[in-house]
Amino acid sequence: MIAQQIINAVSLGGVYALLALGLAIVFSIVGLINFAHGELMTLTGYALLAALIAGVPFPAAVLLAVICAAIAAVAMERIAFRPMRGASVTSLLLTSFAVSGLLKVIFQNGVSARPQAVAIPGWMTGAFSFGDFTIGVGPTISIAVSILALIALEFFLRRTVTGTAMRAAAEDFDVVRLMGIPANRIIATAFLLSGLLAGLAAMLWVASRASVDPLMGFTPVLKAFIAAVVGGLGSLPGAVAGGFLLGVIEVLLQAMLPAALAPYRDAIVLSGVIAVLLIRPQGLIPAVRVQRS
Amino acid sequence: MSRLSCRRRPTFPLRDAMLNVESLRIRYGEVEAVRHVDLTVGTGEIVALVGANGAGKSSTLGAVAGLVPAAGGKVLLEGKDITNMPAEAIARRGVALVPEGRRIFASLTVADNLRLGGAVHQTASDAKAREEEMLELFPILRRYHQVRGGNLSGGEQQMLAIARALMARPKLILLDEPSLGLAPQIIDTVFDLIAQLRRNGLTVLLVEQNVALALEIADRATVLANGEVALTGTAAELASSDLVRQAYLGA
Repeated sequence: MIAQQIINAVSLGGVYALLALGLAIVFSIVGLINFAHGELMTLTGYALLAALIAGVPFPAAVLLAVICAAIAAVAMERIAFRPMRGASVTSLLLTSFAVSGLLKVIFQNGVSARPQAVAIPGWMTGAFSFGDFTIGVGPTISIAVSILALIALEFFLRRTVTGTAMRAAAEDFDVVRLMGIPANRIIATAFLLSGLLAGLAAMLWVASRASVDPLMGFTPVLKAFIAAVVGGLGSLPGAVAGGFLLGVIEVLLQAMLPAALAPYRDAIVLSGVIAVLLIRPQGLIPAVRVQRS
Repeated sequence: MSRLSCRRRPTFPLRDAMLNVESLRIRYGEVEAVRHVDLTVGTGEIVALVGANGAGKSSTLGAVAGLVPAAGGKVLLEGKDITNMPAEAIARRGVALVPEGRRIFASLTVADNLRLGGAVHQTASDAKAREEEMLELFPILRRYHQVRGGNLSGGEQQMLAIARALMARPKLILLDEPSLGLAPQIIDTVFDLIAQLRRNGLTVLLVEQNVALALEIADRATVLANGEVALTGTAAELASSDLVRQAYLGA
């Protein structure tokens, strides 16, 4: 029972961490909180649904859906955010709300306002026994995917020139441009990565719910935003730490709160968030940003 | 708007100019930071741009490097118009700016800072060869290769900033206040290095508040005041001019 709860907690935390990382990567480079991030998740869900209906085998459909998310993220930057480059934070924020609203309406009118069932293979909803423990296959896959994605991202950011340039751009974008590295390439890569992460998170989210609906992305991305703020906005290790922390706290509260207090779960979580921010206003692991004269 | 300065036409041949700045104007909103600047840097020269705080020196460098938009005028690199090109395109044409305050990537290692400086190289072996040259030139950077830039001292950071700019093998290097905040011996080291780079064929445009130091190393110099050229000439001419002596050399 406890093992199962821990697995669930880490698995939910992993999804939040992937989403928070996507938000943090884009924020660290362009100073934008992309509230249309949730719609990337939703889009991935519908892409999976469409691919499965078209008869694409499940693994290929997942791959296709994640690629769709990455392309959609890059397109979003190219169409909506690039013309707003250099605009104020408020303008960027409003743009992201506009993109989010537009996509939601397209999903509602183009597909359906009601949830659509997604056929998840039976083996993913099963469980396996491990001594005395019974562990769900879904959460285990979820944890594995999150960890692999984190390792791959870390490798990309540490070992490649583009990844190094992204870490540098988070600190001082202008100087990266002075090195002859195109700003557009850095920004497009940031959105590409955030799209990939949103796509993976969407797959894990859909796998545990077996349905897609137009508002699917809202709640997880709101949670991821909270996680990113708690971790330290724009800090990638902070986003991961915040994501796991939030997931673990949510699941543990759900498991341990007496029934009478259960409706207050979100209130308790958010009070915790406020407490953290009162003690550490910059977040758990603050972002490095050089003070410019 | 009065133009009361005694702007002089350049008195040297322009044929081999690395950089020509013509009638440059820069404004930040309502504020006109640069009103009218003409400047020429010949190939292989060290030209110093001096003047008080807010005279428009850093803005001029910023416009040459493409970080600050020019509101008017032209910037020519080897005769080709680069006015208002994106900074990354200008960097790829062989202009490197070492910004004021060094602005090294503090959370990145020395090695990664250098790696980004060499990002324009076509092949990994080109970049590697250039890095090896830089580590020869700056032994301190070899010692601290895996140390984060933020943990270096001010002088070491300045070395790193210069080495990072040189990684791309630029034709023209723009140095913005390289002596700022450094101890006197370190300043000497940095300026010896600048002289050595010029001997190796690099063209240097130097912004410096320490006017005596700048005139010692430069071939020619231009004095900016209130966004305009107040005076231009050879370093020796300026060092003996009354304006410079009274205003900047404290003599």
